Amino acid sequence: MSKMTLPPCQAACPIHTDVRGYVNAIARGEVEEAIRIIRQVNPFPSSCGRICTRLCEKACRRAQVDAPVSIRALKRFASDQTKGFKLHERPMHHYDEKIAIIGSGPAGLTAAHDLALFGYAVTVFESQKVLGGMLSEGIPDYRLPKDLVKEEVAAILSLGVEAKTGMSLGKDFTLEDLLKDYHAVFIAVGSQKSLLPKFKGVELSGIATAVEFLKKISRGQITIIGEKVVVIGGGHTAIDAARTCIRLGLKDVTIVYRRTLSEMPAGREEAEAAEKEGIKIMYLTSPVEFSGDGKVQSVRCIKMELGEADTSGRRKPVPLENSEFEIPADTVILAIGYIPDTEPLKESGLQLGKKGTVIVKDETGITNIQGVFAAGDVVSGPQSVIDAIASGRRVAEAIHSHFRKMPSKEVIDYASLETLNNNLVELIKKTERQKMPILPVQERISNFEEVDLGFSKDQAVREAQRCLNCAAGASIAMNCVSCLNCVRICPYGIPSPGKEIVSIDINQCQACGICASECPASAIQLNLESKEGVRAEIENIIDFARQETPEILIIGFYCRYNSPVGPPFDEDEVYWLGKLCSGRINESQLIYPFELGADGVIVSMCGKDECRFRSGNQWMTEHVKRAKRILSETGIGSDRLDIVSEEENFSFFRNRLEAGGMNPLRQGKKVKA
Amino acid sequence: MIVAEIKPFVEIKNIIKDCKKVLVLGCGSCVSVCMSGGEKQVELLASAIRMAGKLEGKEIIVGEKTILRQCDPEFVEQIKDEADNYDVILSMACGAGVQGIVKWLNKVSVLPAMNTRFIGMADGQGSWTEVCRACGDCVLADTGGICPVTTCPKGILNGPCGGNKKGKCEVSPDIPCAWVLIYERLKDLGKLDDMKKEVAAKDWSKGLKPGRYSIKEKEEEKVRKD
Repeated sequence: MSKMTLPPCQAACPIHTDVRGYVNAIARGEVEEAIRIIRQVNPFPSSCGRICTRLCEKACRRAQVDAPVSIRALKRFASDQTKGFKLHERPMHHYDEKIAIIGSGPAGLTAAHDLALFGYAVTVFESQKVLGGMLSEGIPDYRLPKDLVKEEVAAILSLGVEAKTGMSLGKDFTLEDLLKDYHAVFIAVGSQKSLLPKFKGVELSGIATAVEFLKKISRGQITIIGEKVVVIGGGHTAIDAARTCIRLGLKDVTIVYRRTLSEMPAGREEAEAAEKEGIKIMYLTSPVEFSGDGKVQSVRCIKMELGEADTSGRRKPVPLENSEFEIPADTVILAIGYIPDTEPLKESGLQLGKKGTVIVKDETGITNIQGVFAAGDVVSGPQSVIDAIASGRRVAEAIHSHFRKMPSKEVIDYASLETLNNNLVELIKKTERQKMPILPVQERISNFEEVDLGFSKDQAVREAQRCLNCAAGASIAMNCVSCLNCVRICPYGIPSPGKEIVSIDINQCQACGICASECPASAIQLNLESKEGVRAEIENIIDFARQETPEILIIGFYCRYNSPVGPPFDEDEVYWLGKLCSGRINESQLIYPFELGADGVIVSMCGKDECRFRSGNQWMTEHVKRAKRILSETGIGSDRLDIVSEEENFSFFRNRLEAGGMNPLRQGKKVKA
Repeated sequence: MIVAEIKPFVEIKNIIKDCKKVLVLGCGSCVSVCMSGGEKQVELLASAIRMAGKLEGKEIIVGEKTILRQCDPEFVEQIKDEADNYDVILSMACGAGVQGIVKWLNKVSVLPAMNTRFIGMADGQGSWTEVCRACGDCVLADTGGICPVTTCPKGILNGPCGGNKKGKCEVSPDIPCAWVLIYERLKDLGKLDDMKKEVAAKDWSKGLKPGRYSIKEKEEEKVRKD
């Protein structure tokens, strides 16, 4: 097993999405690049952008400074802004092997997607009429609109994946049947069989399971369910069921959960949203009996307290003596847990576990039957969508390796970066996490309109710029001469003298880039900005500007952190280049435009005390001073370069430039007489 | 280390005025450390030469290269083939580097882009002070580790002289009196009595130019003496 250190978000993500990469792309305003990065590993960006359990945000080191980056909302932004984006064309069938996938949830469809791209013929069998599994039927529209799931499913089918809906395992076909027609079968039927409590009254009518209830709603089979509803459970499904009831017009909805808000799997945000919609949540309460005359009429509950931690690490709820009480109920919805329904596989010879799960060798999903693979919730029990996607990806790899007789892909142990040093945390500028705009309660409780409205562009860019660019900072090449200049100028004191060359702790570097712009040996590289890349950027923008034949061609540099959404001001003849800190703008970048024929270069100064990296302004000013000297000595003229932060100063700069005429190095273009 | 600074651009422009192909050659040792002749400065100087040339209607081909040391033949060897493509090598090394290139690449002309200043040490970000004159007969053992030969403008071995005013030298108020520094240092070390000791006359012949040092010759000399 080899080791790899990743940014915490990427290490935590089950599919190791290059979170930093796409967040940084959004920070630069390159949304298509962002979606390209996301889609490399995830065929469900729109769904994950809404309902992912966001392990990335839990790992985000920005939380040490203020609050984690709102990564999920950024993924949603990237996907919403790039509707119709297609990463892959329909691939050719390179191989003869045919693969059947049972179940069209995120695990099954992800595997179908990946296998189709490898070049296999894939057929997905789905018992329901619609594809998507729980994404389509188990999550209400106000959280995940069905149209979006449809679009993602359609994109997968467009790769040549065949889908057979209304085909139920055990009823319409068996595993043996599939093995006759297909070279491999992937079982991804999920975990949708509701667990029922083992106490009195559970057989009464008016008691439903949450998954069945949500499925009926999503199929439009709305049933009248009385006035008072009690939902039992604390997971997403419980809250989904309760909030759905409110949207059906019910006024009296109570959630009964045996632990407290801190242990609630649905999370604080969901619980608070439910309460705002008028749902009552009774914590530390557990049902003990349902009573009624043929039909449920009340739920008998007992109060709980938290005792010792159980195997899941959560404190176990213990009943409080003599605390029983009744809640009247016309309907009870149970959301206390799910197990896989593998009944139809019992006769197949497939090795099954106690709770109906399929037993597999390891992450490859290999089962005891040759050519049969299983993964996702049917193996693990209920987990998140992103876990299902991850298992689908791994099985697709495993099936490909199996057919091509390749060794299974090496398992990599992804380690995360260390936490930020406490003294460093103090030096990092705080910025508020953007709030997701939402539909007001009154506008949302009578319909299934999506509650979260998504970030505006301004919000998305600002939020993306909160990313600390973990491990994307400076790295030192062997041509370091140990001059120690970086050690002396780093605003965070990160570089330190080493035995041969200076070392920069990748765990702590804040990626301001000041050291790289000041390194006399050009031995410091910035992960997100190469020297060659910047030169190419300057060349491109000047090429572009030339096509527009402006009378005066001015290149403007500005700091994206200081002016997130775009250049600080608009002027026809200024072609702007955004930088992630003005301290990165070095003498070479200031001079190069003149070599290419630019008439002037301006740099926008960030406001006083506004530098995200403490000393960016100071270094930029220094670089401008030195570059002006070079321009003066060469005869180009130092007046062609200046710090111009506001529009008023710009007209002064422009007039001066006009008086001086065009850059004598500029060829072929006329300047206004 | 050796501290050098880049010559005024007008001077550089003048010495290469007849050249059409110039290789700007940086040195990855002392002058990189003192931020005057490393890869970054090579890039900037090359850019300036190109622009200045163009302004005068000349198309100068300017190459950029940095080697680890210009004062060693093995490193100079690394650019031997490339050097043939140029009329001149504009060396951004100290004087030793320039002459190294002259010695080992004898068919190409070599011009200096730098003024070599002194042997010095860093005294803050981006600044250096001369601390050693390479006199060949070190007296630091007698002077609290502070060199009067370099630090005192008069090089007085048994100071201070009468020109010391409030700890500064009469030559310039910016120069601290070396002997006051030595006094303070000895005081810190509890060795003030050493001030009374006379520093013996130095063997100035050891500083005879051109200086030369060869381990082999040194050994042979020792054997001869024994």
